[in-house]
Amino acid sequence: MSRLLSSRNALLVLISAVIWIAFAAVQPSILSATSLRSMVVLAVEVGVIALGQTFVIISGGGGIDLSVGSIFALSSVTAGLLMTHGVAWPLAALTALLAGLGMGALNGVVIVALRIPPLMTTLATLFGYSGVALILSGGVDISGFPKGFFAIGQSRLLEIPVQFLLIYLPILLILLFVERASYFGRALYLSGTNETAARLSGIEVGKIRFLVYALSGLLSGVAGIVNASRLTVARPDAGGSANLVSITIAVLGGANIFGGEGSVVGTALASLAIGSVTYGLSYVNANPVFEGGIVGGILIFSVLAQGLLGRLQRARA
Amino acid sequence: MKSERLRSARRSGGSPGRRLGQFLLSREGLLLIFLLLLGAAIDIASSGSLLRFANLNNLFVNVAVVAVASIGMTLVILTAGIDVSIGGIVGLSSAIAGQLLTNGTNVLLSLGVFLAVGLALGLVNGILVSYVRIPAIITTLATKSIFRMLVFLTLGGVWISSIPFRLTNFFVLTRIWILPVSLVLTLALLIAASVLMTHTRTGRWFYAVGDNEEAARLSGINVRLVKTSGYALLGLLTAVAAIFSLAESPLVQNNTGSGFELTVIAAVILGGTELSGGRGTVLGSLIGAVIVALVQDGVILLHIQPFWNGVLLGAVILASVASSGLRLLRQRGAR
Repeated sequence: MSRLLSSRNALLVLISAVIWIAFAAVQPSILSATSLRSMVVLAVEVGVIALGQTFVIISGGGGIDLSVGSIFALSSVTAGLLMTHGVAWPLAALTALLAGLGMGALNGVVIVALRIPPLMTTLATLFGYSGVALILSGGVDISGFPKGFFAIGQSRLLEIPVQFLLIYLPILLILLFVERASYFGRALYLSGTNETAARLSGIEVGKIRFLVYALSGLLSGVAGIVNASRLTVARPDAGGSANLVSITIAVLGGANIFGGEGSVVGTALASLAIGSVTYGLSYVNANPVFEGGIVGGILIFSVLAQGLLGRLQRARA
Repeated sequence: MKSERLRSARRSGGSPGRRLGQFLLSREGLLLIFLLLLGAAIDIASSGSLLRFANLNNLFVNVAVVAVASIGMTLVILTAGIDVSIGGIVGLSSAIAGQLLTNGTNVLLSLGVFLAVGLALGLVNGILVSYVRIPAIITTLATKSIFRMLVFLTLGGVWISSIPFRLTNFFVLTRIWILPVSLVLTLALLIAASVLMTHTRTGRWFYAVGDNEEAARLSGINVRLVKTSGYALLGLLTAVAAIFSLAESPLVQNNTGSGFELTVIAAVILGGTELSGGRGTVLGSLIGAVIVALVQDGVILLHIQPFWNGVLLGAVILASVASSGLRLLRQRGAR
């Protein structure tokens, strides 16, 4: 099992390299440190959302979070409105984080306490949260933030983008620890693999699932703030494709859409691969529809491959 | 329990007045009252623009566009599925058939291609969902983006605007009594679908699959075939909607049809079909479609910012999901 996982991870790195070589064949100037940095900056935002999506999918019970893009948008609108009304930027960013956490927690409560399937809940809040973002902002972009705020998404430390070094990496390491070495991690996988067995062994499956949706909301909020800081603008209609892309990253990274399988390291490497595709396409000036189409194709392909692999393993066993 | 009592009361009949009272208190009745109030409010607020003839004809065609696709969406949601890719199906069928229409291909042949493309795309979704067993939301989220990319590749960035006027003339401007042909065709399809769903064994299969897939399989229903045919029919009917829509505004561009899934899903669940499957009616979806078309018309007539359109439809979906959640809770409490 761990051999299979690590071979998948090696494969993802290889795929990323091939993607860079392919784009270099079209546009050799893409191979530069600046490009690598720009790609990382792009991949961090959707990558951090994908980490939350991974835990949601692992937790099983039809786990999926379609509302990540709307939480992303509403969090950045929250931060933007607070800052343009004179609130200090650290406080505005913190409030926006809490807003993201709250939106995720609301998803979790509806799913766990009201037992409405995650698909229905997050489809409804996908429209709900984005509606609130549109109403609050009056449908227009918000800008005019204090300079200090731009440090989050535009500065570097040791030549490395700060949102990667000080935001993405720490989150990845914490989640890696949670996944591999904590009670929560073991309970998470068991909830996804076999809910009944999990319950019988005393795991509070409801609590686990509530927490993963809250986490997904929080991480979408993080991405929203980083994005607003990088682009110097909060867009109420942003994040439209965040659910497609984050689900694709999680599945490509090894998350099983029926729960119980997946890893944050796989997701991180899949973010690298998808981020490379996205950056490469924008570098060669391809129309944005290609990004969506290619990512959609990758999603179907990886679910298919997963099903085939599973069948092969079962046949061998 | 309560609905059971209502139903038996309805069966036993009673005076016509009582039966009317019962209808008005049912979901369809309440929606109808809401519809009339909404229409009156929009008409008054827009100082009579709603009922002006040009607007009314427009509204009728819009109802046809939403309602014809919502028949198919009802079938899919009844089987506990969903399809968020239909905006892409509108775009791709319009792009492919639109090119035939502009370069002088026979109109009937072009319309045939329209329908064939819709059917084929729906079939792709259906096979991926039922036979390959990829969850419906994941399949259609992916195909939505893939279809949109194919629209761009088909159009090559060039708009199609020289659609033959015959299309508009027939579907929009030709009227039977006061109803445009597109709406008459839609109503005919609706009645056929409604009879199929309530009076034939095939129709019951859709309810059975959505209510309890395992039980349906055990009782010998070909679950995969039923589900696949739902998506295929949705694709086909979406192409019909695309034809009406093209007749109304003869233009195909890269974003043609985008957002259509929200409109149709809102209409269907507003009409009482539940996202968890097994419950709903095609006629309910018609009322839902009229309300949704009215909201869209109202946003234009009252010069409200266009984003409110999405906000209102989203609120409809939110409210419907919440109400079905509360019903589930009450059922569990009663048990």
